Amino acid sequence: MAQFAWEEISIEVDEDGFMQEPDEWSERVALALASTEGVSELTDEHWKLVNYLREYYQKFGIAPMIRKLCKETGFPLKKVYELFPSGPAKGACKVAGLAKPTGCV
Amino acid sequence: MSKHRSYKAEKFLERLGQKLNRQMVGSLVACVHCGMCTEACHYVLANPDDPTYAPAYKADRLRKIFKRHFDWTGRIFPWWVGGKSIFTDEELEELKDIVFGKCTNCRRCSINCPMGVDFATYNRMTRGLLVSVGIMPEGVAVVSKDQWEIGNQMGVLKEDYIDTLEWMSDELQLELEDDTAIIPIDKMNCEVVYSINPREVKYDPRTIADAAKIFHNAGENWTMPSEGWDMTNFGLFSGDDALGGAVARRLYEKVSELKGRKLVISECGHGYRSTRCEGPNWAGMDIDFEMESSVITMLRYIREGRIKVDKTRNTTPVTFHDSCNNARSCGLFEEPRELLELVVTDWREMYPNRAENYCCTGGGGAMSMSEYTPNRLKSAKVKADQLTATGAEIVVTSCHNCVDGLTDVIRHYKLGMEVSQLVNLVANALIIPEKKVIVEVPAVEEVVKEPVLKGYKILVVDDEPDILTFFSSVLEDNGAEVLEALDGDTAVELALKEKPDLMTLDLNMPGKDGGKVFEELRNNPATAGIKVCIITGRPELRRLIYDRPVTPPEGYLDKPVDEDTLMLNVRKILELA
Repeated sequence: MAQFAWEEISIEVDEDGFMQEPDEWSERVALALASTEGVSELTDEHWKLVNYLREYYQKFGIAPMIRKLCKETGFPLKKVYELFPSGPAKGACKVAGLAKPTGCV
Repeated sequence: MSKHRSYKAEKFLERLGQKLNRQMVGSLVACVHCGMCTEACHYVLANPDDPTYAPAYKADRLRKIFKRHFDWTGRIFPWWVGGKSIFTDEELEELKDIVFGKCTNCRRCSINCPMGVDFATYNRMTRGLLVSVGIMPEGVAVVSKDQWEIGNQMGVLKEDYIDTLEWMSDELQLELEDDTAIIPIDKMNCEVVYSINPREVKYDPRTIADAAKIFHNAGENWTMPSEGWDMTNFGLFSGDDALGGAVARRLYEKVSELKGRKLVISECGHGYRSTRCEGPNWAGMDIDFEMESSVITMLRYIREGRIKVDKTRNTTPVTFHDSCNNARSCGLFEEPRELLELVVTDWREMYPNRAENYCCTGGGGAMSMSEYTPNRLKSAKVKADQLTATGAEIVVTSCHNCVDGLTDVIRHYKLGMEVSQLVNLVANALIIPEKKVIVEVPAVEEVVKEPVLKGYKILVVDDEPDILTFFSSVLEDNGAEVLEALDGDTAVELALKEKPDLMTLDLNMPGKDGGKVFEELRNNPATAGIKVCIITGRPELRRLIYDRPVTPPEGYLDKPVDEDTLMLNVRKILELA
């Protein structure tokens, strides 16, 4: 367990920087986490993606397939990587407050 | 006075005895503590002040136990040869932190040992012994469970996998403006059956699209299997040979069923080693087809003139990182270099390289064990220095694990490099022949979806009427034919008479309890094939169920269970059948 601090935000994260307590998530926390993934500003398009990830995670307890993410948000695959350069698994999921995806990623 | 030994420690020792063979004993007795391995290990190089990272030191943790119990010197004079037994679960946990947290099984020490001690091999064996008594990092447990129960390490369902392949197929047709550019699924008698890492389908299918583009342009008669498609294998990391065999067998059997001539394995180091080198032994099978890394396939296509490439499309300076499993364990290191020569204009060697290259530091399943990440990144200093010295802007590797491991290293040490794979570079350099006719894409017809459980018969067993009604209505709403039983005897009777596809089974019931019902049905050939999902308010009974001398249940859920969880698990069990 580690503590992650950014401006007024202080949250518990795992050793890879993923949130431990999903309930502590807020839009400010998302901004804080985004700063660790090379994203300095969250646009409407970022939010669309982040919100979809959160909704899916709250419902099913896992991260969605990239296929579902693209289908539901209408973003092409390329766009997802433009928005989150470190990709959907590590970048977007982290910002959306999901736990670290399982497996070799 | 004899000291009490825990149940797990007892089992650990018993199973250690069963695992010892000549090679293992050779490695355990041959070490002369010369220290050559110390200089070979990236953990030691990055932590010079910490002797506990030295391979010989780590090896001695198991060697002491071996000497105390199995070597004649240690059985008689344990104090003389440093023999020491193991008694408590805490000691096993400490051992876990060494074998999972301080070694990536990269085998660099093994090839540098003058005595031929293969430390990585018995580090893996020790992992396997710990896993067999339930001691392992949580990440390893989660992934192993998915590979056992769902059939792939990221829990991807069959329909989602196929949906993704179809998506990539559509994208490819659009890009190439060619309606024959498709990803064929389950095509019989193909030259190539292509298997992938679940990471590709779950998070980054660009490598699937790139591979499809290459196969299509090479005019290959190829296919991707609908099942058994995961060529990764957590059995290699966890040391669990039974899991290793189960995973490998699924893939081999599917290729045989499709009568494929060659199984091509996408760029994944541990997957290649598990599937091509170790798998046939774990699975105990004769293989009636060839196996090949996609690196070699791509190189062949260029050499045989089946695809044309233009290397001037890849001009950014590139270096190549050897995956431990590919290079050290499987000897795959010249082919990727030959391929790089053909598809990039500027590539630089990294030093040391080939079989002597350093681990990406994310090997051996380390990417799934967050608890060790800080140590892993600290030990990555060696890799970071190696990368920086090349002056390259892109590091190419033929391993998904290395892609993620290196990405972490690059970020942690702020190296500003990108990571890529050969398939991406080859696809980017590919010269697509001009098309003469542009084919119109027909409009897609709206498909009416059938209820997902249509055609399945499910028996719901629970002594609480409310729960029974709840489960039944959820399953019926989704199209299943549902039968109900309020007690164990009715359950057995209905199972025999109706032969359902699946039964959900409560454990605590008056009369015949769920455990007895389960064992009785499993032992009767007429009902042994019925899939069983235990649903209980007493999760602690899990062990009792799994310890029974019958095939374990296909699913195990703890109450309370909501609609989504029930449906997700029922579908997993039925659709993976």
